[in-house]
Amino acid sequence: MISIDLNLVWTIINLVVLYLLLKHFLIGPVMNIMEQRKLMIEEGFRNAQTAQDDANRLKQEYETALSGAKQESVQLIEDARKSAKAEYDRIIIEAGEKADTMLESAKESVRVEREQTMKELKSQIAGLAAASAAKIISGNADEKESQDLYDQFLKEAGENDGNADK
Amino acid sequence: MPKSAAHTVSARQVYIDNQTEKGGSNTGNLTETLMEELNCETVFTLPVIGGISESVVVTWILMAVLVLLSVILVRNLKVENPGKVQLALEAGIGWAQDFFEGIIGKENRRYVPYLITVLLYLAAANTVAPLLGFKPPTKDLNVTAALAIMSMCLIEFSGIRKNGVKHWVKHFAQPVPVVAPIMILEIVIRPLSLCMRLFGNMLAGFVVLELLKFFVPLLIPIPVSFYFDIFDGLLQAYVFVFLTALFMTEEME
Repeated sequence: MISIDLNLVWTIINLVVLYLLLKHFLIGPVMNIMEQRKLMIEEGFRNAQTAQDDANRLKQEYETALSGAKQESVQLIEDARKSAKAEYDRIIIEAGEKADTMLESAKESVRVEREQTMKELKSQIAGLAAASAAKIISGNADEKESQDLYDQFLKEAGENDGNADK
Repeated sequence: MPKSAAHTVSARQVYIDNQTEKGGSNTGNLTETLMEELNCETVFTLPVIGGISESVVVTWILMAVLVLLSVILVRNLKVENPGKVQLALEAGIGWAQDFFEGIIGKENRRYVPYLITVLLYLAAANTVAPLLGFKPPTKDLNVTAALAIMSMCLIEFSGIRKNGVKHWVKHFAQPVPVVAPIMILEIVIRPLSLCMRLFGNMLAGFVVLELLKFFVPLLIPIPVSFYFDIFDGLLQAYVFVFLTALFMTEEME
């Protein structure tokens, strides 16, 4: 019952063989898988961390850009308003100037016309007076006839004067 | 000794009585049966290397079963979405790995596969009697001695590998040179205690159970078998690898 023999050696050989077999078929693969999973999980955590950092950085950038854009838009509107005002002023001033020039030229032309008419009237009146005088001097006209002539002269002159006034 | 008295005395007493008296047809029959169960028969004899005992053959069967189970269970391992079998397998191996790394340290994890192998082998060998109906191989002194010798080699090897031969030689004289003989004896004592603890436990459990089966063959042996074969068997497997790992840590200090 209690005896040591060669079976001890066989058992040692058995144990070594079992160790090699189990290490190759059971423990190695299972440990390998567990190690791989551990690595995968660690990598996942690392990736998540990187992604979050990226997202935070992008958010920061966007916020900066957004506030910049707001300022820019305010500036733009301000500029536009200024330029519009300048344009408006310029147009108003130009229109005023143009209107002034036009009024001036109109006045000028009216004045020239009137002068011309006055000149014509003067010459006509002179002609009439001359004709009347000639008639009076030459003709033996009586009182009544001369009176008519004066009236006619005055009438014609008055008519022309009225025309010229118009 | 009358038969009724034998029922009342403890099993161990009966065994001793049988050994000393060897009288009476009943007790003689018991002795014969017991001795037959206790003996590790030589199953067959090979021409050159001699007799192959029962325990070696049972070990072969266990090896075949263990390796076959590993091959079947380890197929289709996946990193993602593991199946239930794989999860159970990983939980078991992971537990053993954590257990041994907790004792011998993470930097000595190269010894973990051997310790797991021994744990699996001892667990299978100790509980094989009720599960498959074989005599447990650990009941044979050759097997426990072989395991102890392997443990001894591993313990000393781990110490030498970790700290070098010089330190290994020097550590016998520490803390004072007077203890050197005891320290040297310890090389043998540690595996001897491992060997004898395992052998004694398994043999005693086996003997108690055989006696009980002889006297009360009905129902009563079931809980006792659960205790001696399953609980004690697993406990002894645990203790063996635990102590081996502990001695290795001690040696690697």
